[in-house]
Parts: sequence; C-alpha cells; structure tokens
Amino acid sequence: MTIDIKKVLLLGGGPTNIGHENELDAAAFERLMALKKTGAKIIYVDDNAFSVTTEEIQPANVYVQEVSFQNVVTIIDKEHPDAIMATTGGLNGMQIAWQLAESGILASNNITLLGIKPADLRKVMDNQKLRDTLTEINEKVIASKIVADDDEAMDFVREVGFPVIVKPMSSSHDTSRFICNNTDELEDALDVSFKRTYIKRCSIEQSIVGYKEIEMVGIRDANGNKILISGMEDMDPIGIHSGDSIIFAPTQTLINEEYQALRTATFRIMDSLNITGTCHVQFAQSRTDSNYFVTKVSPFFTRNTILAAKATGYPLTYVSSFLELGYNLTEIKLPSRYSKFLAFMEPTMDHVVVKIPLWPFRDITDVDQHLNTLMKSVGSTIGIGRTVEEAIIKSMHSSQFSPRDILPSVSTVDDDDVINQLIHPLASRILILMEALHRGFSIDELSELTQIDRFYFYKLNQLLRAQDFVVNNPLSPQSIEIGHKYGFGDGMLAELWKVNISKIQQMNENYKNHVTYKAIEPSAGEFLECTNVFYSSYELENESRPFTEKSALVIGRGGNQLGPNSAADYYTSQILRSLHKCGYKTIIMNTNPNAVSLTPQLSDKQYIEPIQLGNILNIIELEKPDVVILPGNRHYLSKQLKQFKALNIIVLPPDQKIATYNQKKATTAVDLFIEGNEILPVTTISFVGKDQLTDLRFINDYKEPMDNWESDEDKLIANASKNIDTHEWQGLVQVLYNTNGDSKYEMTGIRPVRITETAFLTKTTGINWINVLVRKYLGKLDMVSLREDWQPTEHKRSAIMTAHFPFRELQSGRSEGTTKQEVGSSLSFKNFE
Amino acid sequence: MTERYLILEDGSAYAGKAFGSLATTTGEIVANSTMNGYQEIISNQIYHNQIIVFTQSSIGNTGLDQNAYESILPSAKGVIVREYENLATDHFKRISLDRYLKQHKIPGIYDVDTREIRHHLQRRGNMKASIVDVADDHAFDQLHATVLTNQQVAQVATPKPFPNPDEGANVVVVDFGLKSGILRELSHRDCNVTVVPWNFSSAQILDLDPDGIVLSTGPGSPANLPNSVLDMITDVQSQAPLFAIGLGHELFALANGAKITKLTVEHHGSNHPIREIITNEIFFSGQEQGYAVDPKSIDHAKLFITHVDLVNGTVQGLRHRDYPAFSVQFSPDGAPGPKDSVGLFDDFVEIMARRRDSNDDRY
Repeated sequence: MTIDIKKVLLLGGGPTNIGHENELDAAAFERLMALKKTGAKIIYVDDNAFSVTTEEIQPANVYVQEVSFQNVVTIIDKEHPDAIMATTGGLNGMQIAWQLAESGILASNNITLLGIKPADLRKVMDNQKLRDTLTEINEKVIASKIVADDDEAMDFVREVGFPVIVKPMSSSHDTSRFICNNTDELEDALDVSFKRTYIKRCSIEQSIVGYKEIEMVGIRDANGNKILISGMEDMDPIGIHSGDSIIFAPTQTLINEEYQALRTATFRIMDSLNITGTCHVQFAQSRTDSNYFVTKVSPFFTRNTILAAKATGYPLTYVSSFLELGYNLTEIKLPSRYSKFLAFMEPTMDHVVVKIPLWPFRDITDVDQHLNTLMKSVGSTIGIGRTVEEAIIKSMHSSQFSPRDILPSVSTVDDDDVINQLIHPLASRILILMEALHRGFSIDELSELTQIDRFYFYKLNQLLRAQDFVVNNPLSPQSIEIGHKYGFGDGMLAELWKVNISKIQQMNENYKNHVTYKAIEPSAGEFLECTNVFYSSYELENESRPFTEKSALVIGRGGNQLGPNSAADYYTSQILRSLHKCGYKTIIMNTNPNAVSLTPQLSDKQYIEPIQLGNILNIIELEKPDVVILPGNRHYLSKQLKQFKALNIIVLPPDQKIATYNQKKATTAVDLFIEGNEILPVTTISFVGKDQLTDLRFINDYKEPMDNWESDEDKLIANASKNIDTHEWQGLVQVLYNTNGDSKYEMTGIRPVRITETAFLTKTTGINWINVLVRKYLGKLDMVSLREDWQPTEHKRSAIMTAHFPFRELQSGRSEGTTKQEVGSSLSFKNFE
Repeated sequence: MTERYLILEDGSAYAGKAFGSLATTTGEIVANSTMNGYQEIISNQIYHNQIIVFTQSSIGNTGLDQNAYESILPSAKGVIVREYENLATDHFKRISLDRYLKQHKIPGIYDVDTREIRHHLQRRGNMKASIVDVADDHAFDQLHATVLTNQQVAQVATPKPFPNPDEGANVVVVDFGLKSGILRELSHRDCNVTVVPWNFSSAQILDLDPDGIVLSTGPGSPANLPNSVLDMITDVQSQAPLFAIGLGHELFALANGAKITKLTVEHHGSNHPIREIITNEIFFSGQEQGYAVDPKSIDHAKLFITHVDLVNGTVQGLRHRDYPAFSVQFSPDGAPGPKDSVGLFDDFVEIMARRRDSNDDRY
C-alpha cells in the first residue's frame, strides 16, 4: 500500500567531511528526480555550500540551514510536512529522525517517517536494542557492554580479555573506534571516547581484528520482498576502517555457501527491522570457518550503498525512493532507458570494481597516518575492469595525485620499513604490498603478516609479472596486448617505454588493438543496451555508440581530496547542466563513485575511467566531441591535451594571460565579469580570516556583500573596473583590496575567481555564473539579458560561506587551516537588520 | 599458453587461451550469470553435454572445496571465462581449478570476450559449440556432424541404489543426475535417504516404504526419457508425498498431462524474481533451465501453478490438486544461488510427518 503524501521534508547530508562525501547530495538529487513524479511538494534542508540538490528545488522550499534537530523542529512547525525522508541525511539524518520520534514530535504532528518505523529505528540507533534484535533472530554479535566509567570497562575486559574495541556512543560522527591490546591503550581510548559521547556512555567489545570485512547492500519493499544489490569485500581485514579499506565488488574470496549465508542474514535483518528501502549491513567473516558476526547495520544512505549502485548499475536511489513511499518492487516504473524488469531483478555483475580511498596526508601532515579503526580518508576513486588486475591498476591510477600515467615507486623504503608497513599500514598500502612481493616475500608469509587473503597477492603478483614483461619487451605487440589486458593503458605504456603516446596509438592502429567500452548494467548482458554508463577494456565488442548530435566531453576531477574538490564537483555538475541547455549531448568522465556529476540524470553518457591522457584520448577518438571541457586548474593535463590541435578544449575557470597576482593579503574583493571590452560588476566580498588573518592562504570564509557595502561598495566597484585591463583578463575576475576598516582600500592584486567562490556566487547572486562562463566560451552568451537580469548592488541579505576542516576527525591539534585543507563548506544567509 | 578456439554452430569463432584439459569437445553452449559457486556449477550434472560460459568475469578465486561438489564426476563439456585464478585452498594446497578440469578432462578457454558471447547467445539462441585447437573448415564440419547423445540421464545417474542413512523420514530420491545440494538439504533435516536409479519401477520404489519421494534434477530434455518413467510417477504420486525439482519437475508435469517446450535461450542464473502466487511474494533461486512447462497445456483439474518467473513468464512451480505432490523448476538448495526458498524442503518434511501421523491414526 503506497503512502499518500502531499508534502515531504527531505533531509540533506550537510557539508562534506570525513565519513561522507558528495554521495548524500547525489542521493538526494536522484531522489528528488524520483519524488517529482509523485507530485508531492518537497521541502529540503541542507547547508552544504556545494549542494547540487538545492539548485533543483524552488528556492522558497529550500532551507539553507544546518541539518540539526532544532532546525528541523522549526521547519516542521512552519511547514507541517506529512512525511520525512531522513535516509539521504546519512547517520546524522537518522539521529535527527530518532530524536524526532523519541521526543514525540512525529506523533504529535502526524508525520510519517519514511523508510523505517520509529519503533524499528530505535532498534538500530540504540546499540543494546540492536544487539537484542539480532540475538532474537539468531544472528551473532560480538560480546560487548555499555560502560559509564573506566571501572566497568576494566570489569568487562577481565571477562573477555584483550584485544577489545572502544567506541563512544551517540557520537557526532561514525568514525571513531579504538582497538586496545593492553590496559594503557584502553585507558587512552576511554579518555578520548568519553570526551566524544553526548550521553556519557561508551561501548566496549571483543575484538575481531583480522576477520574479513564483508558488506552487503539490500533493498526491501513493504510486502517483504527483498533484493541483494551487491556484496562487497574489503581487501583489508577488520582492524582497518571500512572507509579506509580497498574494496572489491563483487566479493572475491567467499565461497557460495558463505556468500549465501550473509545474503540471507542481510534479508533477515531487514525483515526484523521492517525496512522499506535500502539497508547496508557489515559483517566480520572468519577466515578459518563459516563463523561470522554482524558488525554494523545502516538503514540509510552510506558511501557503500552508493558504491553498490555504481558497481552494478542498478538504479538504487530511484527505486528506494518509491520503496520508502510504500510501493512494491513490481509496481515501480523505471525511466525508459531501463528494461522494464530491472527494478525487480537481482543485479549480477560481469566486471570487477575496485575502490581505493584517498587520504589527506599530503595536506595535513601532523597526524597519525596509520590506517586503523579511525577513518581518515576524505575521498575515493574506483577502477572498473573485466579482469581483477585491470580493475586494481585502474583504481590505482585514478587514486594518484599526479596526473602522470605512472605509479609512484616505493623502492627506496628499506626492508625493515616494508615489514613495519605491512603490519602497520600507511596510505601507500597497496604499493608496499607490491613492493614486498617484488622483493621476494612469499605469498603465505604476506598473507600471514597482513591478514589479507592470498588471492589478492596472486593478483598483485600477476600485475608485477605483466609489468616486468612489458618493461623487458618494449614496443612489442605482445607487450601491448598484455598491458591492455592488465589495464595499463596507452599512457602508462608510453611512460614505461619513455616514448610519445602517439607511437603506441600508431601501433594500436597497425595491430588493430582497439579499445572497447562495456556497459555497466545489472543483468550481465541478458538485456541489451539498457544503460549509458561505460568502462573500457580491450575485447571484441564495443557497446558505446558515439552520438550523432553535437556533443561535449567534460573531464571530471576524480576522487575528492582536500581543497576545492566538492566545489569542483558542483562546478562540473553545473557545466553539464549548462551544456545540456545549450543543446549538446553531454559526456562525463570521472572516477569518483560519490560524485554528483556522475549521477545518470546529469549527463547523457558516463565513462568511469582513470582521468589519464591515454584514457581521455581513447574516449575522444570514439566520441569525437565538438568540445572538451576541463574544469579546474589542471595544467599538466591541459598542456598535454593542447598538443592535439584538432581538439576544441575549454579550460574553466579560463586560463588568464597573467597567471599570478601581486599580494598575498586581502580583506575585501570586487568580483567582475568581463566579456570582451565590457566589464560587468558581479558583487563584493569580505574575507573573514580567523584572528584577523588577512593572508589569503588562510582565508576560508566569505561574506557577500562586503562589510560597509552601503557606503563603500560603489566606489570600490568603480575603482576595480578602472584598474582592470580587459586585454589581459576575461571571464570571472577578482580584484583584491586590503583595508584596516577605515574605508581606505588599497588594491593588492587581481586573480581569477576560484571554483569555490564561483559556486558561492552562483548560490548567492541568483545568476548561474558557471552557466555564464560556459556560454561565454561556447560563444553563446547573451549579454543583453545578462545585463537586464543582474543588478549587482541590490543586496537583500548577506550570505556567508564557512569552510570546514577535518582536524577533529583526524585528531589533529590544529584549529585553523589553509584553503588547501578544507574538506567542505557550509552556507548561511542572514537578513539585514 | 596454448591458443585454442571456441567455435559455434552459426560459424562464429573465438580465439582464447587454453586451461584445464586440452581435449576437443562438443556440447550445447549456455551462459550462466550466477556470480558465486563456479565449483557447484561445473560439477552439476545438469551441464552434461554443455559448454558453460561464465558471465562472472573471474572464477577460480577460492580454489575447490571438498564440501561444495554437486557431483563427484562432473560431465560438463567445457568452461569459458574471461579470466581464471589458479589458486588452491585445500589442506595441501593442491587442487586448483586448472587441475580439477584436467582431472575430469574438461577443457577451458579464458581471455575471451564472454560478455560478447553472452550477447551473441541472447540474440541467436541455443546452439552447439566445440572447443578445438584449430578453427578450420574441418572443425566446423565435425561440429555440424556431431549428434549429441540423448541418453544423458543414463550416463550420469547412479546405476545402483545406495543409502544415505539417518534417523528421520524415509525418503527415496530418484536420481536423474542428482545434485548433492538436494541430499545436503535432506540430511540437514535428518532424512533417511535411499537414492535409486532413474529407471526404478514404482513397485521397486514403493517396496522401500517411503515417507516421501524426491524426483531429482538432471540434464537434457524430459522427452528423452521413456514413458515408463512417467508411469512410475503417476503410480507413486498417489502413494506418498512427492517433491520434484528441475528435470524432475518437468517429468512430473509430463506425467500429469502437461507439455514441455524448449526455451530459445536457456536461462542459467539466479537473478530472475520468482513469484509465489499464493503469497504474492517474490524471491530468488538458482535457475538452470533449458526447458519449461507450457502453461497452456496444464490440465487444471490435476495441477495448478504455484510459482512463475516474472522475467520470462515461465512456470516455476506446480502442485497436484489431489495428492501431496509438488514441484519446482528452480533449485531451492542454493548450491549455488540464493537460499530464499530452501524452506520448501521443510514443507516437504512437514508433509511427510503429517502423512505419517494420519497413517498412524488409521492403525
């Protein structure tokens, strides 16, 4: 029976941080597209400064506010929604839902919580109740206890022995778990944990370090029908946070009996919680027998829920929206590109997906960089291939900070250090595993040391052997064939052989080694051509047909790191939207499974391929796009691509004739848009630095319009317009000023408006400046209507964008960060007094 | 690495690399899209005379497990996969996929575009194929000339009865090419099992005083079996609870007057939702089927449909109106595949118990 709703409050995921990237915004965005079909009015709350979802809703229905219990209560009082969807708000969203249920607000306002009933939600959010529920259905959980002080913890340890794991209860984020092998470590862990818990309780449990970590994502409808979307296997054992693990989909080292047992357990858990929608369950699977424990139940959107959808091509977010509304699986009508059966078929894969996390240690160095139970990664990339090796190498390429097509070497690490890093892994984990194999460590020995299944070492060994063969047989057709099979790509071959990539392309032509693209779809070839997502392999059949209409290729930014990455995802999404409006068929290439820009509704075709020269050229060769757009300052890539004269490449933000600006200090800025000789003022900004810092590297907060705008804005804009040379500057440009607060402004420099601020301007001024830039460089800008639309000095409210840093999550002592250390930003509006 | 070829009846040829046995074989080519359980699939006697294309791109990752064989002497004619891993996980780290296939004279080919082959089979339907050293005219002539045996059940089923003792219900399993999963599930429920040859008569079966009878899975078309098998079924179904699976289900339908049709594209996988009509619930199960019961041919005075496949509309389950006899097309034992419907074995054991109790009342 479907639930009839007129008005639904959708909870957003908030600014990106460790623990969640853009996937919640991507889920909310897709969900919105599905909900629009129901005719329900949608209210959305989110303060993520780079949310794509908020763009798609009537501004009057968007609350740009922190997703908190108090704010949600206020919105409920004002809007009187008849339902709440909290699952796209992640763990935070579910905690708010729980508080709403416990406080009686849902009942008294007659609001239906979608996805899970309040009574069942309690069973998930309260650790003890979850244990009771699981025990009732004969699912095993590890011995654990909730303790209120150190003495109780010690009593528990005397019973079960070390090692144990300590977790704060109801903490603000899901990342903290501490393994303790002795009393000292336990005391430290309790110390930190008691500081983090809202309710002065910690849980302490038996450690299952070394078990395999298996993740299952399933869906269930109101009739109790269930589908397993995907099983996933963490290569790293329990002991390394799943968010910091290299993950494989499908599972690689489970036998059928084990796999089916976990699948069945997932279904039983969903039944016991009466879930209508999606559920992500994590298991610890013994390496020696069929024993397993349930370690985590998440009936809401998580990174790996989205990964399961991306890996299989199953339209999970779309389907689960209707499941939450009470539809049965067989009643859901999919968008026309899908086979009509796909919604209720269990996905089956004929490819391998590998996800590698990205860590922020290049930008934040003063933290413990070991991978352990505390999650530290800020992003991830995936590699997809038809062989396990191909998927591994592609994901490794995609995870490199350098766009150069070669893997970094760790050959200088000495033997002792290799052993040390095998036992206490760092971010270079997978390179060290390969290096150890290279140095002759036996597979059994390595498996013993790392608790990683032997299977993975077999695969890494194959890769090493393939690489040796390729290096020792340069420019031979057989080397190219082997290289391609193992996912090396033409760019990597060119680097290994130190030749120009065009040489390899010529050989491919001569030997007819053509790249083929395979669809990512959930039927493993049973239904023909039912999705528009592709990855490459070198095989017989190519399934990707180039568009006959004019088309544009947008080269995505890859995995999230610190800095402007979630802003860049927003920027990329808006570019796609803009190109679509300009009549182009849009093609996006990206590797970040959590990127909004990869959602199927935002482009006509998606390629999940490493952002490397060889892979880009292959796609261009097939698609022959009329324009290639490269968002972000990627000088190496833009230089490489520009060698190919026939390509129409647009770099956004545009390269300026002068790349540098004079001063490093500023308090205020005038943003201008320059088209030819015409200068259009956009707005003014005040920079807000912590402790009155005016060093631009430390400026992370922006306010629009500038302070004292009533008195100072006009003259500053006039000054900026006078000082800018339109021969040298085009597009969005920022003129920087310094002031001591005395209305005397000293111009300190000029720079292009950065991606983060372009997103901010788009959010605050009501003009989509990304769209304006795209149109400008496509030669389709209509200046007349832009002039009419835009009144720069008519400010009705002030907007503030505040950067967030992951210092607390990483247990760094820092409080202030540079622009390179930002993990996300929040947005807020304030009416003038 | 030896280069070998997979050639198809329609003239297609695929070059790949050899693993397993280097034998030249011919069989029907079918694609299986189940992601787990390559060992169970290869050792299932249902693949007698068939060459299996795995759509799962990589197999062999977990070696071979002594507890996961579906038969001791597998009779598949070939294995086609994108990539295999030659890893052994047994105590002595001896038995890898390559070695296993060599032992049983099953040739394998890897490094081929199995997704393309899958698409090809979806478009062109079932056909014969060979695994050969050279894809020349001679090989194609041989392929065209090969007539595959229709005595498949006789070749894979046990020629002599054997017991699998326990203390529970007395179950006679009629072996048409039995998969071990059925025995495992009966053992879990303490059944005292006697496996009998496919051509046992009803009198021979009933002399064993069964509490229930299972008609097993097996290879090939049910039409290849003599009418005596159908007579046996009509005799025993009125005497004891009967549970028929796979080929057994097709024979049960035939014995009760229904007709069987051959599918244009065989379905081997566990991704199709199966609807249980009475509860309207959907679930998943391993399906390995080349034939289906024609729903139009069903005599509704005798049988009613209990399960259907929601994707291809095929009949997946039947029940007799007068007797405690029921059948399913799919494999509820989950070896390999989901165990969503493993409760059917509980139903069967329960029916046997009720029957026994009511018989006791009579005496």
